[in-house]
Amino acid sequence: MTTTEPPAQLVLDLGHRPALGRADFLVSQCNAEAVAWIDRWPDWPAPGLVIWGPAASGKSHLGQVWQARIAAPMISAADLDNREPPDLAGDLGAVYFDGADGIVGNPTRQRAALHVYNLIAEQGGKILFSARTPPGRWRIELADLHSRLNALPAVAIAPPDDAVLGAVLLKLFADRQLHVGVAVIQFAVTRMERSFEAAERLVTALDTAALASQRRVTIPLLREVLPHIGSAGHSDELP
Amino acid sequence: MTEQWEHADTTLVEQWTRIRAQLRAEVGDAAFNSWLKPLTLGEMLGDRLRIAVPTRFMRDWIEENYGNRLTEFWQEENANVAQVEIIVEPIRATVPAPGGPPRSPIGQRHDGDIASMSGAFEHANTGNAVTTDPEDVRALLDQRFVFKNFIVGRTNELAHAAARRVAESDGVPFNPLFLFGGVGLGKTHLMHAIAWHITERDPSRRVLYMSAEKFMYQFIRALRFRTTMDFKEQFRSVHILMIDDIQFICGKDSTQEEFFHTFNALVDQNRQIVVSADKSPSDLDGMEERLRSRLGCGLVADIHPADYELRLGILQDKAEQLGARMPDKVLEFLAHKITSNVRELEGALNRIVAQSTLVGRPVTLETTQEILRDLLRANDRRVTIEEIQKRVAEHFNIRLADMHSARRARAVARPRQVAMYLAKQLTARSLPEIGRKFGGRDHTTVMHAVRKVDELRAMDNSFNEDVELLKRMLEI
Repeated sequence: MTTTEPPAQLVLDLGHRPALGRADFLVSQCNAEAVAWIDRWPDWPAPGLVIWGPAASGKSHLGQVWQARIAAPMISAADLDNREPPDLAGDLGAVYFDGADGIVGNPTRQRAALHVYNLIAEQGGKILFSARTPPGRWRIELADLHSRLNALPAVAIAPPDDAVLGAVLLKLFADRQLHVGVAVIQFAVTRMERSFEAAERLVTALDTAALASQRRVTIPLLREVLPHIGSAGHSDELP
Repeated sequence: MTEQWEHADTTLVEQWTRIRAQLRAEVGDAAFNSWLKPLTLGEMLGDRLRIAVPTRFMRDWIEENYGNRLTEFWQEENANVAQVEIIVEPIRATVPAPGGPPRSPIGQRHDGDIASMSGAFEHANTGNAVTTDPEDVRALLDQRFVFKNFIVGRTNELAHAAARRVAESDGVPFNPLFLFGGVGLGKTHLMHAIAWHITERDPSRRVLYMSAEKFMYQFIRALRFRTTMDFKEQFRSVHILMIDDIQFICGKDSTQEEFFHTFNALVDQNRQIVVSADKSPSDLDGMEERLRSRLGCGLVADIHPADYELRLGILQDKAEQLGARMPDKVLEFLAHKITSNVRELEGALNRIVAQSTLVGRPVTLETTQEILRDLLRANDRRVTIEEIQKRVAEHFNIRLADMHSARRARAVARPRQVAMYLAKQLTARSLPEIGRKFGGRDHTTVMHAVRKVDELRAMDNSFNEDVELLKRMLEI
């Protein structure tokens, strides 16, 4: 390393494993309701529950906490294409349907989803759905399914306030084993877009930049990175 | 292998039913359901009684943990039994014969209760044996779906009267009873109510309820596993067959064909059939003509969307059932707003009750609107900074241009701060970006505005109400 301007080091994204236990979930004002609903299982007033909120807001995390707790299978919208409803519904009386809005605009999936729903409901079981938006706003061609989904309790994960945003940044840094000071967090929170997605993009960008330039995550580095993280497409949208 | 099951005598079956009940009482529901429920009764070979389990693992487990008790129970019940032998018998037909003639002890029903095939299906893929416990079967019907809970109004009185008639009649008043109407209006409720009523009145009558879709899946399965005889058998032995949402077999020719034969066989035996659909028989596109005409030859009763009175009546009744104190205003609001169908109406009420219990808040019109925001508003409003500036400018009667201007007079500076505050609260924009939209101000200026407005809200009640009002106007 004799050059004054070291070439950008090639960074391999080896992936990081986010901590996904219940204890790792940050309970705050924006998701307290969703957490309360999850904790209330199986005392839900309907055969299912919908948790919805912006990207990276922790829906899947919460879904996986529930799923792990009761050993329920997880299914995705794509599973509806190639597995039969009785197989998907299983016989546990509980299913976690991750990214359920993936059935929008796809009548074949909707039909399969209806049958999964009916099978679970008939057993007195429960389905947990996660999605970006609530079912009331989905375009669902199959009326039978739409009315069932609309009748379910739907609970939103709200966009983060500053305190949550700070905590989320801390957690994301910790997941990547990056140690950053409070001042850095504070600096970021007051200058970044207030969304979970932006927090993820920022931390990823900082991690990459820090590795490439072999620097620590500091305010100067943050200053360089912030202008380049862009903004989420629908950042004005409120749940 | 089939003969093995055919000669099982009814005494053994009755003894087995008692033993199962004893086992359940002894080991508890959880263990029973996991391990003992899948056991099926086999035959007597000399003094050995055979019990079948679907997998080797289960056999080992049951021998290890329950073997002795099983033998003891059998010895108490039947002096001829010296030994209980547990054998591995992969599921023959995963379709149980609900209450069929005493030829098959698998899933045999002796209480004449409502049988359903769902068990077969759910277990089909896991290879577990299937039995249809009376408890299981009852669990398939919604307990709330009884006649008592069906609120009758102008729009559903015909369907209700017809369903009552079928449920209360000893004969077959009309065949089939065809109930149709839009989604979530109570067709399934009426069918379940018929099933509950009949089985409570006369437990010897066998009722089979299933969705058309399940009929189809079961039929396809039976074809695949060459068990169509069992499939047919289970239908031909019921007194009342109820098929929900028949529209789901439209366009499925072979399933329709099979259903047509089942239908005819039951009608010939003077058994009652109840069918529901989302349309009248003549409007069922993709349904064979001969089946359509059969479906329409009994009584066709439609359910119309509930009118306001009925919606309100349903809500009042439901709230009472839930033991929830709901202000009239809230019920009226719901009855006005949620007009699509009864299912969604009840779902909304459930949500409000559950949510308010959860957070320990009384139900008010405001909390109701808040909880049902996702249903009542077709779209998330995207509050933009521009919109906030416009509203705030109108509210304080200043020019929109002053939002961007450098003027510092309090008459314009305060509204501008309020707008910055709301932009911070209601959008996800970063402080620097908010600053830019207010005439290129620094992000620290925005931070100062946010702090200032927070302070003023805490000190000045009328100012606080002003801001709150603006916020709500922008959010709705």
